[in-house]
Amino acid sequence: MAETRGGRPISASQRPTGGDKAVAGQKKQYFRRKKVCRFCVEKIDDINYKDVKMLHAFVAERGKIVPRRISGVCAPHQRRLTDAIKKARNIALLPFAASY
Amino acid sequence: MNRIYEELFIVKPDAAEEEVDQYVEQLRTQLTTAGATVDKVEKWGKRKLAYRVGKYREGTYVLFQFTADASTVKELERRLRVSDLVLKFLTVRIDQTLKRLEKRKKQRDQRAARRAANAPAPAAAPAQPSIAQMMSETPGAPMPGQPKGEA
Repeated sequence: MAETRGGRPISASQRPTGGDKAVAGQKKQYFRRKKVCRFCVEKIDDINYKDVKMLHAFVAERGKIVPRRISGVCAPHQRRLTDAIKKARNIALLPFAASY
Repeated sequence: MNRIYEELFIVKPDAAEEEVDQYVEQLRTQLTTAGATVDKVEKWGKRKLAYRVGKYREGTYVLFQFTADASTVKELERRLRVSDLVLKFLTVRIDQTLKRLEKRKKQRDQRAARRAANAPAPAAAPAQPSIAQMMSETPGAPMPGQPKGEA
């Protein structure tokens, strides 16, 4: 950590592996909690379009589908989730675009 | 080829209760005469729509679950489209999903059973003596630092 104080880039061989931002010589340190997929953790196999309450958690205020990078849902589950949300929209359980 | 389907449709909110019941009954008989078996009919009652459909802001949701072939579904959809009572409908084929879910559940149960079968056998055998050991020599076992300090 001490050798990064000078602010000069260190050679690639010395650079810490992985995206370890705390050691990268930045002023601010960001502590990001690792996101986990809710469906994997709670072992929900069935992402059903009729479960509006659950789907609401993955729809933003304006009715947009929350991206994976924000919600932390894993790719297979996000695929099923989008399908479910789109079905729910079709039958007026969820809005296409919420109005204020 | 018979498949399992789910049909969710919205009936106009200003339709009378008995009118809706009558319509649902009518659909059910039509399905059965067409060779389908109706597994489930659910009325969700009146609920608010997420957006305006025509001039309506709410509607009565009705859910059918049935086993039928493709031509029956086509006929049912045509009827729903023609009907004045129905605002919107959605047909979903669910047999593949159900199959997948069953498979997942089976896997999960199997894994749980295996874990349950494995865990108590090896864990129980050493666990019993280790607890007994801990009980017999309590000052030494839990704190490694303590004996060093004393010595």
